[in-house]
Amino acid sequence: MPDKKKTATVKGFCCNYTARLSGDVLLEIGIAPDDLQIERLACTGRLEVTAVLDAFSQGAEAVFVAGCRHGSCHNVSGSKRAAKRVIEIKKTLQELGIEPERVEMFLVPRGESEPVVAAYKEMAGRIDRFGRFHKE
Amino acid sequence: MIIAERKPLSEILGMIQGMHRILVLGCRGCVAVCSSGGDKEVAVLASALRLGAVKAGSDMSFGVQTLVRQCDPEYLAPLAEMAKGYDAVISTACGVGVNFIADRCPGVRVLPGLNTTFYGANLSSGEWREMCAGCGSCVLHLTGGLCPVARCAKGLSNGPCGGSVGGRCEINPETACVWHRIHDKLTDLGEADRLMDIMPIKDWRTAGHGGPRKRIREELLP
Repeated sequence: MPDKKKTATVKGFCCNYTARLSGDVLLEIGIAPDDLQIERLACTGRLEVTAVLDAFSQGAEAVFVAGCRHGSCHNVSGSKRAAKRVIEIKKTLQELGIEPERVEMFLVPRGESEPVVAAYKEMAGRIDRFGRFHKE
Repeated sequence: MIIAERKPLSEILGMIQGMHRILVLGCRGCVAVCSSGGDKEVAVLASALRLGAVKAGSDMSFGVQTLVRQCDPEYLAPLAEMAKGYDAVISTACGVGVNFIADRCPGVRVLPGLNTTFYGANLSSGEWREMCAGCGSCVLHLTGGLCPVARCAKGLSNGPCGGSVGGRCEINPETACVWHRIHDKLTDLGEADRLMDIMPIKDWRTAGHGGPRKRIREELLP
């Protein structure tokens, strides 16, 4: 398990084709350099449920997944699979008494940074609204 | 195959409250095929429990292992060593695996991670349906291969009941009346005459009502 201190408050799992550049731009423009960690996936279809749950265990207060809009996924159905897994993760969070809205799937157009910035802002806003669930 | 589903996380977390080291133990048998207790599912369960522990501010840690099967002694043998240092083992096998660990592994506290539900078939990805009740006295040769014990809500031997409407069950209209289907199937097979035979009262001793069942084949014994 990685060092908890190294884990950002918001973690984004981003599709290589759709969100890598967006995620990099987001970090480069310094929107939240200490608060956001982007993990690039070859395709969001590769997203593992354990990766998201472990991100929460390691300190993330919210997680977003940014993948291709349905119909434009490089791997045809990767983002659809990811969206289903996000629904499964929401159910798990709910079972644990954690707000399911702390994880969200965003379908974003390729090569545009604004939608990923918006996803980060949305999740940061949700943390403000819900508060932190990790014990200090 | 045996179908099972994960217990609610709150129930599992309740079982392990106050413990420190937990082994989540998967099985690559039926429960892996029905996506409830194989390698992937134990990893997810361990991650979920770890998150539950984090939320509760607990220092509980979780190990993950999977056995080929939990219902055969040769595959279970490594567990005695594997379980050392753990306060409990959460088994994601069916109830058979949990019982077998309890019988065979002294000193291991085994807890069920799943509810074992039924013997069923895989209709499509993510969908299973009960097809057999394991009653020990099969009548499928009389019913066109469709089981009235498992698939009739009332387990009738001489159905359908008066509640069968339009081929649907009165208990749950989403369920086909299996006796309606038996009638159609036997008619298709040209064996509708079988429906004129009255099945005798069923002897439920073979279904476990005569106590726990066992089977011995002398020629296979060591």
